[in-house]
Amino acid sequence: MITQIVFWFFAVVLIGSAVMVVSARNPVHSVLFLILAFFNAAGLFLIAGAEFLAMILVIAYVGAVAVLFLFVVMMLDVNFSQLREGLQRYFPVGAAVGLVLFVELALSASAWRIAPNVRDLPHARVPGASSNTEALGELIYTHYVFLFQACGLVLLVAMIGAIVLTLRDRPSAKRQDVAVQHARVPADTLQMMTLGLGESTTGNGGFRRPIGKSAEKPVSRPALVIENSPDREG
Amino acid sequence: MHVVLADYFPVLVFVVIAFGIAGAMLGGSLLAGQQKPYAEKLSAYECGFDAFDDARRRFDVRFYLVSILFIIFDLEVAFLFPWAVALGRIGLFGFLSMLAFLGVLTVGFIYEWRKGALDWE
Repeated sequence: MITQIVFWFFAVVLIGSAVMVVSARNPVHSVLFLILAFFNAAGLFLIAGAEFLAMILVIAYVGAVAVLFLFVVMMLDVNFSQLREGLQRYFPVGAAVGLVLFVELALSASAWRIAPNVRDLPHARVPGASSNTEALGELIYTHYVFLFQACGLVLLVAMIGAIVLTLRDRPSAKRQDVAVQHARVPADTLQMMTLGLGESTTGNGGFRRPIGKSAEKPVSRPALVIENSPDREG
Repeated sequence: MHVVLADYFPVLVFVVIAFGIAGAMLGGSLLAGQQKPYAEKLSAYECGFDAFDDARRRFDVRFYLVSILFIIFDLEVAFLFPWAVALGRIGLFGFLSMLAFLGVLTVGFIYEWRKGALDWE
């Protein structure tokens, strides 16, 4: 009885927030309703006995995917009121596609037969496993090892794809290169000169960088000339 | 089925408490505080000067890259939970299978590190 009440509560809020995702005028509100929908779907998973999936839904979808959606909404910079002006023009096409989808769904739903013993399956404990998470863990890494490794490859492709698509070198940007910094020696930028009393550096050739490495690669700091006094030696 | 819901009763208690505290703070300030709104007080506040422009500005795509990379490692960690729980029962094969999975993702991690995707210029 309580389970049914909780189920209907989650289901109604889920459907309602899903409708709001589509119909909200402000796209940021859509994303917030999407988060609400994720939470309610997690509640439904809990009722179905899939505790691990429910928690992952909260962690991965609410914590990460919804944030990504927010970024996308912010990045699109689309004039949404302008976008809605085409509603009347595209309504027939959209309605036709929706009608086809609805008929297909109705056809498949009418032909759907639920296996007689499937009602007990979600609550059948894996022998020996004390929890849903442990039952999953026993299957994923051994029985479904190839699918598991394929997951790893998909994640790898996603990682490389994101970098290839979005990372570009900015020549104007100043990056810190620790190796170059550590490789710098005083001889690159520092020249010791011995000046007599009252002489200026101009008479001795002026400020100039040591010939060598610094000629090819410019250094950000100007060359320093330090008077060669005995206490600065060594 | 009822067992699962009964297990989550403490969570429900916490949710109710959280909503109660949040509602009490909002409602308390609404009821007890003096409300004298005027245009200046209601306008967007940005450290004492006028807000420059709309908050709905375009973001740099690099924020997006950071969040994608976060999601990928988030999912990687999600796979670690059932593995850690069931490690005693899946034996050496399960252990090595997770090591291979982590190895693949470490390749990607080294790639993004070497490409400088983790630097913020």
